[in-house]
Amino acid sequence: MRRAFLGEFEEIVLLVVAACSEEAYGVNIWEEVQKQTGRSITMSAVHATLYRLEEKGYLESSMGGATAERGGRRKRFFTLTALGVRALNDIQEMRNRLWEAIPPGKFQLIGG
Amino acid sequence: MKPRPVEPPRWADQLLETFLSPHLLEDAQGDLHEVFYKRVSEVGLAKARREYGWAVLTYLNPYFFKTFRHSAGKPATSHYTTYPQPSLFHSAMVRNYLKIAWRNIANNKSFSAINILGLALGMACSLLILLWIQNEFRVDAYNANGPQLYNVMERQFFDGKVEAGSGTPGLLPDELKKEFPEIAYAAGISWEQERTFSVGDKLNKEKGRWAGADWFKMYSIPLLAGTAETALNAPTNIAISQKLAQNYFGSPQAAMGKSIRIGNKDDYQVSAVFDIPPTSSVTYDYLLTWKDMLNHNEWLKDWGTSATQTRIQLVVDRNGVMDDPARVEAKIKSLMKKHNPDMAKRGSDIQLFLQPYQEAYLYSNFKNGYQDGGRIEYVRLFGIVAVFILLIACINFMNLATARSVKRAREVGVRKVVGAGRGWLIGQFIGEAMVLTSIALLIALGTVWLLLPTFNSLTDKHITYQFTDATFWAILVGMTLLTGLIAGSYPALFLSSLNPIRVLKGTIRFSSGARFFRQGLVVFQFALSMLLIIGTIIVYRQINFIQTKNLGFDREGMLYVSSEGELETKYDTFKEELLQMPGIQAVTKMDGTPTNGFGSTSNVQWPGKNPKASIQFQFSKVGYDFTKTLNVKVTGRDFSKDFGADSTNYLINETAARRIGYKDPIGKPLTLWGKTGTIVGVLADYHQSSMHTAIEPFIAKLGEGQIIIVRVQPGQTKQALTSLETLARQMNPKFPFRYRFADEAFQTLYRSETLVGTLANYFAFLAIFISCLGLFGLAAFMAEQRTKEIGVRKVLGASVASIIALLSQDFIKLVLVAILISSPVAWYAMRQWLQEYAYKIDLDWWVFALAGLLAIGIALLTISFQSIKAALMNPVTSLRSE
Repeated sequence: MRRAFLGEFEEIVLLVVAACSEEAYGVNIWEEVQKQTGRSITMSAVHATLYRLEEKGYLESSMGGATAERGGRRKRFFTLTALGVRALNDIQEMRNRLWEAIPPGKFQLIGG
Repeated sequence: MKPRPVEPPRWADQLLETFLSPHLLEDAQGDLHEVFYKRVSEVGLAKARREYGWAVLTYLNPYFFKTFRHSAGKPATSHYTTYPQPSLFHSAMVRNYLKIAWRNIANNKSFSAINILGLALGMACSLLILLWIQNEFRVDAYNANGPQLYNVMERQFFDGKVEAGSGTPGLLPDELKKEFPEIAYAAGISWEQERTFSVGDKLNKEKGRWAGADWFKMYSIPLLAGTAETALNAPTNIAISQKLAQNYFGSPQAAMGKSIRIGNKDDYQVSAVFDIPPTSSVTYDYLLTWKDMLNHNEWLKDWGTSATQTRIQLVVDRNGVMDDPARVEAKIKSLMKKHNPDMAKRGSDIQLFLQPYQEAYLYSNFKNGYQDGGRIEYVRLFGIVAVFILLIACINFMNLATARSVKRAREVGVRKVVGAGRGWLIGQFIGEAMVLTSIALLIALGTVWLLLPTFNSLTDKHITYQFTDATFWAILVGMTLLTGLIAGSYPALFLSSLNPIRVLKGTIRFSSGARFFRQGLVVFQFALSMLLIIGTIIVYRQINFIQTKNLGFDREGMLYVSSEGELETKYDTFKEELLQMPGIQAVTKMDGTPTNGFGSTSNVQWPGKNPKASIQFQFSKVGYDFTKTLNVKVTGRDFSKDFGADSTNYLINETAARRIGYKDPIGKPLTLWGKTGTIVGVLADYHQSSMHTAIEPFIAKLGEGQIIIVRVQPGQTKQALTSLETLARQMNPKFPFRYRFADEAFQTLYRSETLVGTLANYFAFLAIFISCLGLFGLAAFMAEQRTKEIGVRKVLGASVASIIALLSQDFIKLVLVAILISSPVAWYAMRQWLQEYAYKIDLDWWVFALAGLLAIGIALLTISFQSIKAALMNPVTSLRSE
């Protein structure tokens, strides 16, 4: 299968969904993304990314959990698909490979 | 202020619901709401609402739109149940439409140029006319209390006839205000008079009027100095225009209270400086007071003389409700009877009636005593012309677009196959028409901008683009939408109806219905053009007829000089000396001019007159040598110094003699205003006014006159002018020397006709030009279509002439049909127009024939270029491509 391609922001959103201990939906994903990145991000950006990840098949969603403050509207809960898990694994593996390939002592030389 | 409910801003939710894909709406909106309530408790309602609104705005992103086609390959488990419907106005499609439209314009430069040029010319024309019409409706609409302003007019019943006139007695305004509490203000206004002003050593002639004291209270004429209350109250007050204040005193403020000497006799004090709005129909550079007029003109105090106009303003109660004008009219109706007690005895009657002031300009004509059109007819006429011309331009577009539809048929077929609905195609083609129309509008705006100065001087208006005026924009947008819609409608409906299977198989055949419709359009177009051509020829001929008709007196080589100052007091010396000088043939004087009568009266008696009959006579005071100067034939004799008692004798014209009923009028008695004299001569009838009215009975008596009339020796105009000027300057240094040719004065009677004639000329030319543009395009297309056929014909031995004939005959047939249709319509319309003239031309058949020939000739000329080109083409080149 083709290699997974994920943008940086997509990867973060996907990781947040994966890391979420409770059921992940728009609001808590948005808050978590902001907390983790320390950046101010609009909700629409998170929504767009979530929908796009679902279209790409990394996420799947189901509706449920309506509350009063939502005006009776249901939440869309997102969960990782097998494809999503594999994509994250692929990326992690690639990173690991690259990290291991860095010659020892090189970072000290640069002064990182 | 009531507290805001604790909920997100409604507009934001509505926005969200409008554009967000329905399958995304529920959870996204839910999430937003959840965050909103959380934020309310954290940062307060106001800030949370702001944040919510902002967050919603960030969803304005094509990705979330209803119309966005989400990428294929949605997972099978997807819960996206409602699929978004692609729409006509999706950005990708719009881009494609624009691209195709642009390619079509760019690839067919000549057709596009014809289309755009035709539309632009048509729109420029219509725009000009619409601006003119808009301006016409603005005339006299500047008054704050416009709806309360009325003109008081007279309806005269005499001699079995009813006639309406704007003239009323000079004492009427004050009487009306005194007698009727419904009338808040009343002011008279006089005729225009040119008088000589002198301030220090500045000397000039100015045109102005006398007006009642309420004048500035009634009309919203801005006063730069002085007040409406005091402007015209003292007898020697004078209100002057800004221009005059500038010329004589330097500024409006400096002019106040200063003295102006008029006619080198009377002094007046400037009491106000006004700035008359350009849309005022009554014009004047100065206003003198009503009291001054009555003091100087004793005869205006007579209730039987109607020489001035009366304007009133009705009272408005506290609630702003005005008395019903009809009720006021009924009350004032028989006022004249009270002041003219002997009127009923003579079997005549004068009733007063009201005309709304704002209507008076456009509805100025009265027929048999009742309102009957006026300038509004020209406004309507030109409105129709504007629509015609725009229609002709639209038809060009429709014709060319449908004729060329073969080329677009494939595109339509492909679009239909990949799923375009009919509505989309209609939208696409109308949209294309709109694009072309918009380009045309820009060109039209530029053209009109260039033409406006010329147009303004032609029509005596001050029309400019009013970019701050909503009506102006409404006209532009309305015109563009309408033109685009009409022009695009038929091509859109026709093209979108094509069957994709047949189109793509390449067997496209146009139904005879479509061809018939197209031919119908050409016929319609040419019929409209023919109408305009015939109209132009007839208007032109009538104007020519008026201007060259023998008036009964010789208006060539006749000069008018106004009699004032020394010229008035030493008239006899002036005349004697002038006659000694080169170039002068005869001199006389008269009240009014031969073509602009002085006034009318019914107070004429003679023995044997039917006491019930009341006949209106035109009258004037004239000097000696009247007939000699005017070159009018006279039976009997003119007034002469050889007969001492001539001051009570009369000259009458033939019509008057007929009305009075004398077999041999000379030597018979006649009484004018109670003074009995004898008739010494009968003048041959001459026209005293425009050709709209028949010659009326006329009486002249010997007396002083305001205008000196000078007859020039034939061919010696130059010498005569020098003589006149030298003598006038020498005798009358206090007055500037001015003269007017009788001819010019006569022309001004027909200003509106001449204007209509000139404009009609231009518009007819444009109409035929635009029609020909269309024809040119069609001919080019037809020739291209029949290239092969022509090639084959030539190979088989057809001559060039026969091919030109072949290509031309189709079009000529259409033009012939157009002529047949338009001729009766034009005949009827022009007969109606000519009804307005008492003296008019006949509607000769040859006018129609000429217009027809002209149309055929122009059409032939237009298509000849294409047909000759096609006929001369080498058949080898046209047949080889197969």
